[in-house]
Amino acid sequence: MQTTQLTNEFLQHKGQLKSFLLRLTASVEDAEDIMQDTYIKAAEKIESFRAESSLKTWIFTIAANLAKDNLRAKRRWTEDVTDQGKAAALTDKNFFAEAMQIRMTSPQGAFEIKEHITFCFTCIAKSLPLEQQICILLKEVYEFKVNEITEIVNTTEAMVKYYLHTGRAKMIQIFEGSCALINKEGICHQCTELNGIFNPKQNHQEELNKIEMAKQANNPDKEHLFDLRMQIVQGIDPFESPSAELQLHHYAHNSRVMENFLKKNEV
Amino acid sequence: MKQFITILTFMTVANISMAQNGTATTTKTTFSRETTVSINIQANQAIVWSLLTNASDFPRWNSTIVSIDGNIALGEKIQLKSTLDTTRTFKLKVKSFEKESSLSWGDGKGDRTYTITPNGTGGVTFTMTEKIGGLMFPMYAKYIPSFDESFEQFAADLKKEAETIHQTK
Repeated sequence: MQTTQLTNEFLQHKGQLKSFLLRLTASVEDAEDIMQDTYIKAAEKIESFRAESSLKTWIFTIAANLAKDNLRAKRRWTEDVTDQGKAAALTDKNFFAEAMQIRMTSPQGAFEIKEHITFCFTCIAKSLPLEQQICILLKEVYEFKVNEITEIVNTTEAMVKYYLHTGRAKMIQIFEGSCALINKEGICHQCTELNGIFNPKQNHQEELNKIEMAKQANNPDKEHLFDLRMQIVQGIDPFESPSAELQLHHYAHNSRVMENFLKKNEV
Repeated sequence: MKQFITILTFMTVANISMAQNGTATTTKTTFSRETTVSINIQANQAIVWSLLTNASDFPRWNSTIVSIDGNIALGEKIQLKSTLDTTRTFKLKVKSFEKESSLSWGDGKGDRTYTITPNGTGGVTFTMTEKIGGLMFPMYAKYIPSFDESFEQFAADLKKEAETIHQTK
């Protein structure tokens, strides 16, 4: 394969790859760095590509390995990351001032509840063990097949199935325990609270009615509700959405909060 | 003689299949008690092993475990709370750890061993045995509840979870 062909294919999958890396790292800088390194490494090794898998799978394999190297030394976030993020924002004068500035001036400063749902998913998925997080993203968000994920994460099919099942079960358990959109007893109302701040004139109930997962909140099939959540995540590119800049600001905030918390609670 | 061997073979096969149907058996002596359960699971060894060695995930799929704190690895100490007695926390040490094959933990009073053996049909036979005993055993034996029901539930939960994972597409 020629480098030009690699470049063309790389550009074709660049959007998905960058969003995958952001969702893995929750850091724009890390996502961009790993993207660049992925291209450099792919170009260096292009002659070893045997087309035993698709080029897209091969590129994602390189990116996932680089991301693992980047993330392995870092501790995983905690399940209550969004609660901690909220508590820190309420005591940080700059948080809302910066966010409001983005809201008022940026073409990507809108706030939409469904975008916050994807933000919330990304943050909470960072509390899963790394392999589980990678497998869940690849399967549920980027629709890779189990045999492709096996290659990307370099493990057996049995282990990919284990990571997928346990990661998914854990995420369902966390959302069921906290997300007020699907559980009346849920303690987290952050998406509607923020909607009230950024879109004060909007009726949040009307907005929720546009979201299938919220409409089906009483459905006892938690697996189905999680699938609906995944459809929302799939439909949003965190770099291209109308509220990308606002959400990226929130990612940076939660990253700082988690970094400080984990440092303080280092064992 | 030939007839005797046939009968003996039949009895052995029947015994094996009985032993692997998830029914627990307990044998008692003056100074010890041993409970065993064995069950066939149609899932990969690695899946069963992963379920048995991920401490924090146990309560999600295993209805006999309230919690396990610690890291299930050779020489590590874990703290286990079982539904048999939720008021007690058992402080146990992981005594053996053969990847995807066998695992045991225990304390001064007894040991629990798990084995996973390929059964030749693409699945595994899972066996769990707990032996408790010692010179003082007769003094407290009557205070220890039967493990049979809990062992059967453990095996059934493991089978259900591992086979569900195995069928993931």
